[in-house]
Amino acid sequence: MATVFGTIAVLALAVAGFFVPAAFGGGGAVYSACVLIAIFAVMAYGLDLIVSDLGEVSLGHPVFFASGAYATALLSTEAGLSPVLTFVASLAVAMALALLVGFITLRLREFVFSLVTYAVTVVALTLAENWSALGGSDGIAGIPLFTVDAGIASFRAVTDRDLWPVAYGLLLATLWLVSAFRRSRLGNAALKVHLNPRLATMSGIDPQKTRLMVFLVSAPMTAAAGWLYAYQRAYISADLLSPYFLILMLTAVVIIGRRLLLAPLMGVALILVQEKFFSFGGDVDRIILGCALIVSLAFLPGGIAGTARALAARIRRSDDPARTNAKNEGAT
Amino acid sequence: MNLGQQILNGLVLGHSYALIAIGWTVLLGVARLVNFAHGQMYMMGAFVAWMVMAKVGLPYPLALVTSVLAGVLIGFVMQEVMLGLTLRQDLVSIMIVTLGFGYVLHGVAAIAFGSTGQILDTPFSTINVYWNDIWFTGQDLFIIAVTVAFFIALQLVLAKSRLGRLARMVAEDPKLAILAGVDVRRVYFGVFAFQGAAVALAGAIVGPRTPILTSMGFEEVIITFFVVVLGGIGSVLGSYLAGLSLGLFTAFFGALVSPAYTTPAAFLVLIAVLVLRPGGLAAKPGGA
Repeated sequence: MATVFGTIAVLALAVAGFFVPAAFGGGGAVYSACVLIAIFAVMAYGLDLIVSDLGEVSLGHPVFFASGAYATALLSTEAGLSPVLTFVASLAVAMALALLVGFITLRLREFVFSLVTYAVTVVALTLAENWSALGGSDGIAGIPLFTVDAGIASFRAVTDRDLWPVAYGLLLATLWLVSAFRRSRLGNAALKVHLNPRLATMSGIDPQKTRLMVFLVSAPMTAAAGWLYAYQRAYISADLLSPYFLILMLTAVVIIGRRLLLAPLMGVALILVQEKFFSFGGDVDRIILGCALIVSLAFLPGGIAGTARALAARIRRSDDPARTNAKNEGAT
Repeated sequence: MNLGQQILNGLVLGHSYALIAIGWTVLLGVARLVNFAHGQMYMMGAFVAWMVMAKVGLPYPLALVTSVLAGVLIGFVMQEVMLGLTLRQDLVSIMIVTLGFGYVLHGVAAIAFGSTGQILDTPFSTINVYWNDIWFTGQDLFIIAVTVAFFIALQLVLAKSRLGRLARMVAEDPKLAILAGVDVRRVYFGVFAFQGAAVALAGAIVGPRTPILTSMGFEEVIITFFVVVLGGIGSVLGSYLAGLSLGLFTAFFGALVSPAYTTPAAFLVLIAVLVLRPGGLAAKPGGA
């Protein structure tokens, strides 16, 4: 009974989510913000699997995001491929890169792992800026509209309002994938490797293989976000590898709390709503985002959700008359 | 290719790299801490020196002092915010927090100094020396002189003084150091202040070689990683040699292949080292 009820609630929430931009007035700016929130949330979920489940901090995820966007931009402008084919290509390129990065970093842990993945991002940035095949410092412009022709019906996204169903669909698919991953054997193994590598090894889990597999799930997720971002912007450049996307992902993953399904989505929404509707200019926004990251890690170890839970527990304890009585009785 | 010129370029670059990285080497060697805001602190050092000279009109030595003080201040503030994480040795959180600090510093610098590039001119950088077919500036010589003096002084302090013994003790076993009555907090603050001072000094001394930009920290820090990892994490002499090798490599790769791809090429060298001796990276704690 409870699971049926739960399924209905989840479905209702999923349907309701589609009407969020309409509920906020349905203006062009609202749809643009919602599409970006969905795209960046998908990007952040890829990193979330590494940070929350595997317990390592990958600073190389902007590379997967950029690889999806670059594959899409190159194949749609040069070869005229449709979004379906560029989607497949984006995932394939990201998985190939994930294998490469995964192999290089297989035996590295903690900050050496992070150092090397950070280096991967900077190396990719210098390559993207200098390599003319990737558009060099000019980037790649003229990415065609998101158009799918399926015989009788065809879909063509001119504005962000048109693109919203695609972005929302991608977000739902990602949420389903993340929750399925956490219930899967691989998700379980990743958590064991994270919390107790020795015990994991003793129970027959190969930590290195697990890490590689999680990378192979995580990278295409972030790349799928890059795929849609290329269509949304119609122009991409090496800026995709700038610190902004890295800090955005990291903040979104830690600010609300770890291992909560909706946390990265809420984190991205918080950041984007501030940037799009309450902006103080690029540099001040940068300071706000950086401070949000610092404060959530240095002072709110469980994120906003953890802090709220701790507060609620404290209030409940002080309000609970039964417990106060019991304490008094114990004292007498 | 002018061989002598490339060797000289490599030596100057190498000393620059070693000077930029030394704060991190000590931070990692003594406190087992990492700081991803290192590149932005370097940028801050260069811009504070530029501001003091170009806007306030004070001479270069005072600009150096101001930069170092700014570096100490930034280091102190960071350590104050992260003290809880440091005492818990929560390396992963510390790493992300320092990334956040770097991002904040970038925003602050863009507001304070504007986002256009600047040239940091010093009394030495305008001296041009031509010797046969080799060209260098007074600033190049100044970089080498300061770096060599800095490394010798640091090596002496770490090996001979009470301060150095304290630092090595904390690095070896922080808990034992607490039992022995060492105020570990003060050591952590000291190390962070030293790191800030060293990298800000590097900014004010190495910065004049290239145009300075408020966005340069993100890439600048990468050189430091290479130096620290190649030199054996935490080793002072190792990072000097690693800086020098990396400088020569960069100069020759730039001259023979392409200056645009030196970072990827250096990265391949780093990967080769990591794959060939993944366990052999940790140096003796304390860095001496």
